[in-house]
Amino acid sequence: MQFQKEVEIRAPRGRVWDFIWDVDRFIACVPGCKEARTIEAGKKYAATMVEKVGPFKVEFPTTIEVLEREELSHIKAQASGADNKIGSRMKIDLDVHLRESNGNTALGFVATVDILGKLAALGHGIIKRKADQVLDEFAQAVKRRLEEDS
Amino acid sequence: MLRRFRLEEPETVAEASELLSRFGESAKVYAGGTELLLAMKEGLVHYERLINIKQLKSLRQIKSDNGAISIGALCTHNELETSPVIRQTLPALHMLERNVANVRVRQAGTLGGNLCFAEPHADPGTLLMALGATMVADNAAGRREFSAEEFFVDAYETSLRDDELLSEIRIPVPGAHFRSAYLKFGYLERPSVGVAVAFNSNGGGLSDVRIAVGCAGPSPRRVREAEALLDGKSREEAERSLAQAGQVAGSASQAISDLHGSQDYKEHIVGVLLKRAFHGAFS
Repeated sequence: MQFQKEVEIRAPRGRVWDFIWDVDRFIACVPGCKEARTIEAGKKYAATMVEKVGPFKVEFPTTIEVLEREELSHIKAQASGADNKIGSRMKIDLDVHLRESNGNTALGFVATVDILGKLAALGHGIIKRKADQVLDEFAQAVKRRLEEDS
Repeated sequence: MLRRFRLEEPETVAEASELLSRFGESAKVYAGGTELLLAMKEGLVHYERLINIKQLKSLRQIKSDNGAISIGALCTHNELETSPVIRQTLPALHMLERNVANVRVRQAGTLGGNLCFAEPHADPGTLLMALGATMVADNAAGRREFSAEEFFVDAYETSLRDDELLSEIRIPVPGAHFRSAYLKFGYLERPSVGVAVAFNSNGGGLSDVRIAVGCAGPSPRRVREAEALLDGKSREEAERSLAQAGQVAGSASQAISDLHGSQDYKEHIVGVLLKRAFHGAFS
């Protein structure tokens, strides 16, 4: 499943970039993300992702690795985790782009999400819709947080 | 394999509600078990307690009551399929129940369980919306009634409160000129698309048109914009508007691309089924 999102933020690119690397503030924008911690600054992080569809709950202890980093413009990262209770795995390949746009910043990302295991029994459509909702909420939360701070 | 759980056996609806309130998310109501136990066996969900309500006989009646057909939430699909009251009064529901899943599910699965699990590919919710059904929920504090439209929130989500038990489904007794039909299509175990239509037709034109679409998206939806295209028109005029109403209903279905078909395909099938259901309602 691939998702593409872009959100324009009324803040300079440098501030958006700094925000992304401020783990505590950034993680607060990811719906269902808790217990985030830095394993190696700028390279490796850990977090627990909790999501719910009706009565079905998943909890993925997740490792996030930064694979590429181009100052102020691009980050490539990979997140992966497994919920052993329900026998499911998740992998997300994430490309984040920042560009100047009339003094504002366009924050875009492309996420390729793979969900494997029993969770797939819920149906591809339902999972895709949920992932899309989560990414939308995330993009809007980043925008809101940065614009409120300015 | 099923993990261990404790079976609670309340003797009244109030007791069941009290157990739900006391144990919160660690408990779940157990009726037919056709969806719940499968999910538990798969390990997708686990509850420390199942609240077995099968012995609550008051929730297992089908009767004509004060202008409505009252269906207890514990009635199985088979009981609805074979009920003379349903067959004579609500033939569309009778036909739907005859074709729910398979004979094993119809024997054990209950209407209330089907509605409360809110699996997106379930049939009954769509027709109940078109029939103007009212859901009745009880808890220790009392009783609440709300429409089928208000009941469905999202995939696997309903508007029932944590301590509420769906106890009854009330469907207005149709008048002499009432017509309705439900059609579904699918090639997997569960339907890809379901469409229900209901209206009054007394020769002067159609009134009280209700159209609902299910299975295509996360939850059943009533489509008022499509209803408005048929309401107040003669049968012939309405037939000419069916294609447009079908397009509107398809777009409103929130169809999701999945193994059951692409979004475009499902939207198209909504239109096809609406036309057929409309004609079927007259036959």
